[in-house]
Amino acid sequence: MTGYLLRRIPTAIVVLAVASILIFAVLRLIPGGPEAALAGPDATAAELAAIRHDLGLDQAFITQYLAWVGDILALDLGTSYQVGGSIADLIGFGLINTLILTVAALIIAILLALALALTAVLFDNRFVAGLLTVVNAAAIALPTFVVGTVLILVFGVRLRLLPAGGIPPNGFTESLQISTQYLILPALTLGLPAGAMLARFLTESLRTELQQPYVLTARALGASRTDIVLKHALRNALPPTLTALGITVGALLGGAVLVESIFGWPGLGLLTEEGIFARDYPLVQVLILLSVAVFVIIQLLADIVHAWLDPRIRLAGDR
Amino acid sequence: MTTDQSSTTTTVAAGPNAEDPDLVPGLLPESPGDREARHPRTPLWRSLLHGTGLVGSILVITVILCGTIGPLFTPYAPDQQIDGAYLLQPSLDHWFGTDDVNRDIATRVLYGIRIDLLIIFLAVPIGAALGVVAGLATVTHPASDVIAQRVFDVILAFPALILGITLTAILGPGAVTVGVVIALAEIPIFGRLTRTSVLRVRELPYVEAARVSGATTSRILLRHVLPHSLEALSVQFALSLSLAVFIEGALSYLGIGVVAPAPSLGSILAGGNGYLETNPWFSLGPLIAVSILVLGFYLIAQSISHDRRLRR
Repeated sequence: MTGYLLRRIPTAIVVLAVASILIFAVLRLIPGGPEAALAGPDATAAELAAIRHDLGLDQAFITQYLAWVGDILALDLGTSYQVGGSIADLIGFGLINTLILTVAALIIAILLALALALTAVLFDNRFVAGLLTVVNAAAIALPTFVVGTVLILVFGVRLRLLPAGGIPPNGFTESLQISTQYLILPALTLGLPAGAMLARFLTESLRTELQQPYVLTARALGASRTDIVLKHALRNALPPTLTALGITVGALLGGAVLVESIFGWPGLGLLTEEGIFARDYPLVQVLILLSVAVFVIIQLLADIVHAWLDPRIRLAGDR
Repeated sequence: MTTDQSSTTTTVAAGPNAEDPDLVPGLLPESPGDREARHPRTPLWRSLLHGTGLVGSILVITVILCGTIGPLFTPYAPDQQIDGAYLLQPSLDHWFGTDDVNRDIATRVLYGIRIDLLIIFLAVPIGAALGVVAGLATVTHPASDVIAQRVFDVILAFPALILGITLTAILGPGAVTVGVVIALAEIPIFGRLTRTSVLRVRELPYVEAARVSGATTSRILLRHVLPHSLEALSVQFALSLSLAVFIEGALSYLGIGVVAPAPSLGSILAGGNGYLETNPWFSLGPLIAVSILVLGFYLIAQSISHDRRLRR
């Protein structure tokens, strides 16, 4: 296992380092740098140069990059030019909102996956199977902006049951009931495809379990079908699904960008979008690096869990 | 592999949907015969002609027909502003109503489909081809394997939408940028898929036989290994088309995709977004078109992958 970690962890660090260089370089290719956005349309060339000097943009690329990496490693995220304020504060605020949304979506996804998979296995007749296939395909394939728009139309605009977007006026310090009302539509939009995807994994995994000899034994001993599924098969079907959960968390964080935009949810996704259009380099480069880091870490954890469970992967390089 | 087509199954054939063993769990353990191929040499396109595959094909073909010949029948131009047609409700003249600058939404949807199809059918094949080439390259030399794999890792580390937002900031918004984002996102997906399936068959006797008889590496890869991966690649290709419609829609929805006044499904939807309260039918046309297209490609992918599993 140590050998595997020694091979796998440096790889993740290299990917992060390359990604950080790319992010830093690519953002500087955006036409119309931050000085133009800061100084306004009437600025003279001298004013622009002065601003560039103040921001350190006239230094060599490598100097700027190393200074940035040094600051990040010292946990100093810097100050935003445009959106305003300390980047750590902005990210902290956005991160809480994104996490609340993601966790809510994850809970919905898990409940949905359990419901769909158990229905598929417990009631296996042609009608249920056909219905589940349709529900599953629709939930996985329909884009979040379609689902989100329809949900807003039906529950926010027509029925007026739930708020059509945003977060509670006073944040999530409000009562649980009000918070839930604001959370339910975006979390459902985000969790639906993830839940349907998980349901497919879990159903597949349950069906594989149901073909094992121990199921036949339990059946012969007189256990009911429901008992076999809930008490025996489900327990054994969960581990492979847990690995898939890692991918799901990644997908949820990635999908949050769009869902936040649809529902005007002030999380990290909305902050990234805002930052890019305002040419707010310091803010955006930290945000993108953060999202890349999260993905790399999730991938790393998933690989490690996988290797821990499957010796063939762990030992592949030792031969 | 036997080709005994009459080999029926024990638990499965007795079930109501015998043609679909995956949908019938059955508490009895499966016998090896249950997973026996019934049509081992069925060509790939057969998956498009039955079950979910047929539904998917019909959905996709309907949208393609709308996008290709639909615009020939519309009395309006996509950017034509019709006098006195401000945010009209759907009627016989305007099937999906008119938008906030007096344009016929049905016409814009038809032209939007055309642009969407053009983008996805150019970008996805290009991305897929580059990915396959990169994937084949990984097995030719250890160094190229390491390099290509890390490149895939780095691209995959960026969520597709973040990649899209960043690239749009550099290249400027437009159909070409959307295409570049889609193609770029496909490269690592196809690259990894190709690499995995090449590694799987590399050690098989028939590849060894080809090598012994003097075939070059490139010949073995193209003639013997690649055809073996064709099914996995077609499933991914259909999925990628579905994903590409989503990426175009998402970028245009965020306001950084296809530029006005050219219509795309996502941009019409984004336009209708401001009028959800008062004129919800504004969004109806693009919603329907995007849903049908995405669902159609997804069903096709599911059908190919399902038939492929049966053949194993």
